[in-house]
Amino acid sequence: MPAAIGQELVALLPRLRRFALVLCRSQPLADDLVQGACERALANADSWSPGTKFDAWMFRILRNYWIDHLRRMRTEGMAEDLSQQTQLIGDPGEGPILSRLALTDVQRAIDNLPQEQREVLLLVCAEDLSYRETAEILGVPIGTVMSRLARARKRLMELTAAA
Amino acid sequence: MSQLHLSDEILMAFADGELDGPTTTAIAKTMAEDPAVAKRITDFQQSRRLTRSVFSAGSMLDVPPQLRASVSAQIETYEAARRASSDSHVESARRGWFHRKSSFVQMALAASIAAVALSLGYFAGSREGAGAGGLMAQLETPAVHRTLSTIASGQDVELPFGRLRVISTYRLADGSLCREFRLQAAKEATNAVACRRNDWNTTFAVAIAVTEAEYAPSDGDDLMTTYLRNISAGEALMGDAEARALAEPGR
Repeated sequence: MPAAIGQELVALLPRLRRFALVLCRSQPLADDLVQGACERALANADSWSPGTKFDAWMFRILRNYWIDHLRRMRTEGMAEDLSQQTQLIGDPGEGPILSRLALTDVQRAIDNLPQEQREVLLLVCAEDLSYRETAEILGVPIGTVMSRLARARKRLMELTAAA
Repeated sequence: MSQLHLSDEILMAFADGELDGPTTTAIAKTMAEDPAVAKRITDFQQSRRLTRSVFSAGSMLDVPPQLRASVSAQIETYEAARRASSDSHVESARRGWFHRKSSFVQMALAASIAAVALSLGYFAGSREGAGAGGLMAQLETPAVHRTLSTIASGQDVELPFGRLRVISTYRLADGSLCREFRLQAAKEATNAVACRRNDWNTTFAVAIAVTEAEYAPSDGDDLMTTYLRNISAGEALMGDAEARALAEPGR
């Protein structure tokens, strides 16, 4: 099974990177995240149970990788490297990759949602994962997924209603 | 059915096909009778379509060639290592190593790098030039131990052989306190973890290139992350929690 993991990984790259962009909104950082998450996945290839969804497993690894980095940057960034730290959190002034594509109001509206809403939106509406699968990836109860998702979608409809 | 509370979450779940039979039927009936409810549901359907089209825009799914190349290289290394280790016992040796918790010290420095590098499927060869001799030898000095007992995460102290900076502090399941820190000299740097049992003992160390001026998550940094995960480091202790932990007598 892990023999095929390489192919699975390559096939999943576009969607992994898309999720990474939703998490950090910075193209260079997103690429680093994907690279690091792939490394971590290969190192733990044996922990993937065949028959379970590979994409959900990878999304969880990617997100945990991102959280590990936020955690370490938070402590390490206290004394210096403030600029680096803000970049990591996704400084809006940094020209996030998404803004270049912000041709529509929907795009802009999504960009302006909090990260916790953007990620559920992507996982459910674009990745077509179930609420339960999404909850497992994020490590939160289904009710939390639902309330974040409903808030995000209502906000989108409000923001785009005038357009 | 008028008892059914039509929250946004319920209507959204209906729109997404996430509800079970009886509730679905009840909502479908209400939807037919109440245009306002119907509107709320179609709004949720619409938001899903809009979101999908934004996220499916071609450029969102373009993978830069460099990223594709570097992941392909990782996969090749992984597959080569798999073939090579299928008839050796590297894997079990590595597991055993992480479970041993005492008498690490010097051997630990070399072995842990090798062990973690193996588990990641590549070798730390690129870091050999950073010099495992000089700074690594300072990790067990009293000055380092004293500093580890006193300063908070994020602080620096200048020592005769370099600058010591504590990065983060963790409490392991067995209660022992561990600190991740960096020792930086002019030409070399070391990232290490020390845990306190009576005194501080270095349990992991990796030499890193000093030219590493920019954020580079997938090198020595990732070895460290892997190590911290292997010892189940969990959440870093911050602020008061960290200060209290440091004030406890060594155990």
